[in-house]
Amino acid sequence: MEHLSFDFATLWHNIVAMLVPNAAAPVVFSSGLFWVAFAIFLPVYALLRNRRTKMQLFVVAFSLLFFVRCSGWYVLVMLATSVIDWYVALRISAASDKRKRKMWLWLSLCCSLGMLFVFKYTNFFLHTWADIMGNNFQPLDIIAPIGLSFYTFRTISYVVDVYKEKMPPTRSYLDHLFFLSFFPCLIAGPIVRAKDFIPQIHNPAPVSAESVYAGFWQVMIGVIKKAVVADYLAQYTNIVFSNMAPYSGFELLMAAVGFTVQLYCDFAGYSDMAIGMGKMMGFDLGVNFDFPFRSKNITEFWRRWHISLSFWLRDYVYIALGGNRKGKVRQYTNLLVTMLLGGFWHGAGLNYIYWGALHGVGLVVHKINMPWLKKIPDNPVVSICSGLLTFAFVAFAFVAFRAENLTDTLAMYAGIFTNFDLAHVPYFIKARPTWCVMMVLILIAHFLPKCGYAAVQRWFVNTPWVVKLLVFVVVVQLVVQFSSADVKPFIYAQY
Amino acid sequence: MKKKPLFAISLLLVAALLIFCVQSFFSEELEEHLGLSSAKFAGALFTAAPDSTAKKSRAHKSDSTAAEAQKFAALDTTRKKILFFGDSMLERLGPRLGAYAEENGHELAVVTWYSSSTEVWAKSGKAKEFIEKYKPNYVMVCLGGNELFISDIKQKRTKYVQQLLKEIGNRPYIWIGPPNWKDDTGFNEMVQALVPAGRFYLSYTPDQHYERAKDGAHPTAASAAKWMDRICRWVMTKSDFPIRLNLPANAKVSAEYRKNHCHYEYLSPPEGE
Repeated sequence: MEHLSFDFATLWHNIVAMLVPNAAAPVVFSSGLFWVAFAIFLPVYALLRNRRTKMQLFVVAFSLLFFVRCSGWYVLVMLATSVIDWYVALRISAASDKRKRKMWLWLSLCCSLGMLFVFKYTNFFLHTWADIMGNNFQPLDIIAPIGLSFYTFRTISYVVDVYKEKMPPTRSYLDHLFFLSFFPCLIAGPIVRAKDFIPQIHNPAPVSAESVYAGFWQVMIGVIKKAVVADYLAQYTNIVFSNMAPYSGFELLMAAVGFTVQLYCDFAGYSDMAIGMGKMMGFDLGVNFDFPFRSKNITEFWRRWHISLSFWLRDYVYIALGGNRKGKVRQYTNLLVTMLLGGFWHGAGLNYIYWGALHGVGLVVHKINMPWLKKIPDNPVVSICSGLLTFAFVAFAFVAFRAENLTDTLAMYAGIFTNFDLAHVPYFIKARPTWCVMMVLILIAHFLPKCGYAAVQRWFVNTPWVVKLLVFVVVVQLVVQFSSADVKPFIYAQY
Repeated sequence: MKKKPLFAISLLLVAALLIFCVQSFFSEELEEHLGLSSAKFAGALFTAAPDSTAKKSRAHKSDSTAAEAQKFAALDTTRKKILFFGDSMLERLGPRLGAYAEENGHELAVVTWYSSSTEVWAKSGKAKEFIEKYKPNYVMVCLGGNELFISDIKQKRTKYVQQLLKEIGNRPYIWIGPPNWKDDTGFNEMVQALVPAGRFYLSYTPDQHYERAKDGAHPTAASAAKWMDRICRWVMTKSDFPIRLNLPANAKVSAEYRKNHCHYEYLSPPEGE
């Protein structure tokens, strides 16, 4: 047991140590450090909320501190991006010549995508090149600034929207920096558009008790999804994906299904926390996940999964490529290219490209078959079958997302399809009851009617402060309990 | 509260923090009686930083280790009663150590507990039980293969490693680290911090490559034999407790030795999560 001592020198020393920039241990929204900082942030924000410039300066300072704690001096990369794109947007708006406008747009895209390329993909391309040339490859020591992929897409949408005259450029650099560095969206989105966000700075929604507590409720739901469910399920996933060889087909299948649920809870949980915090501060950040496993086809899935990203890809890649305006073949090609880029955006690796390609093919196949699929009567049996088929496809594709490379992905598929035996089911349930119960509960919760969620949220909003505190303490204790619980590896059971 | 919701939420967060800070001071009692774990963050706020006293105690520890190392630095050529316990890695390490033990005149007891971990051994008290049963004067441990990918490993497993070391007591011992097939989440680092350098054999180094069985985790019999050869060489030349472990002429133990001087015990995997 470590020695605990109640003295202010120790407390101060530990707080300072926690604030030292550390890219290896970024602050996540479910961490204690963040919540302490947020508890200090909120009353100051409340005091400054009606004094716009001061409020903006305060939030920007907090966001930048958050960024520095997570990524150190890489904050300068983000600041450079914000300065360039703010200035470029003004130039685009001022230019009357179409060619000049286009030139400024390309300059901005080159800068934004260039930064993304350098920090995220340099090692991937050098590695691929070394493989082709048969040389040894020593990865360069490049760390991507936190949230790089997300703020790059946000700033691109801003410049493109100004270029397309969907919104005027913001004259105030502070507005632009506020938008780009807004800490709830900084690490993992949602990819909020400037045209939706910047007007909210100028016309803020009233911060009522209802919106604040509804936001806080959403944050807690996000914490449960991320820090209780996803982090617990991740343990089994990590064990199996680290070495698939000793596992039966059923165990591998459970790892694939588990990872799909884990990924959803991880992404959606983080989004919930971000959106909830935004709501508490009076900003609407939209919806990012809308019960994606209720989807009955892959097209619907992409309308419910990581909505801000899929709509971004639709608006800035798919439609820019011509969308469905240039014939069927071109439409299918555009879909494939869009999803390939979507895969590549998620990570620098062939497995991500493969994942994107699978979804691209899935979307194309669905589009081609849409005419006769529409004729199938919509009854519960058809709904369940199509829902299961969609989930199976999504889980199948996510294997590539989690596996370290394509070889492991194929090994996983081979294990599932060649070594499957239902006799392992009772053995599996007996070995990992908590994992099984958690999976069942999360899937049940996923299919509860939305009005049920709204009712519980209403109850929380109207409940006394002490009860709210109790609920929060229970949620945090759940996080603590599950973070100290281990999933049994059972690696050597076959011996 | 209704009029100033942001202040109310802030107050709520502070109140919750206070609750968890207070809880962290009673973490052992709460864990023991109610099974409640304490929030890491709250505990971390009040954990005393390593001060001069701590440094002194570490220095003292390392001095004493040096003294012990000196004491055992010379090869101990006497016959030993070796107890070798651990997880399924022993299934293939054990027979090779048997060959070494026969060659060098030692007695050997090998206890293989499938799917076991430091937690399982520490909680069950089996180590103590087998130490009392075989009364070894030399102990070898090989654990960690089932704990390579556990998150927050130091927080979760340090106490179990400490418990096992306590059960081994003053007997000379060495701990054999697991032969990782992927980077671990800190198991080797944790044991290295708890066991002096001359008593921990790190099996995961760039110059060690073990061919794996079809499960992808265990070294094959031939590879495990090579692994044991390296361990024995290290014990003889670099460990804090060098004993005679010359390379055996025979790959397998004789029937006579197996019957009178060598014991193999196998325990079934522990149940539940």
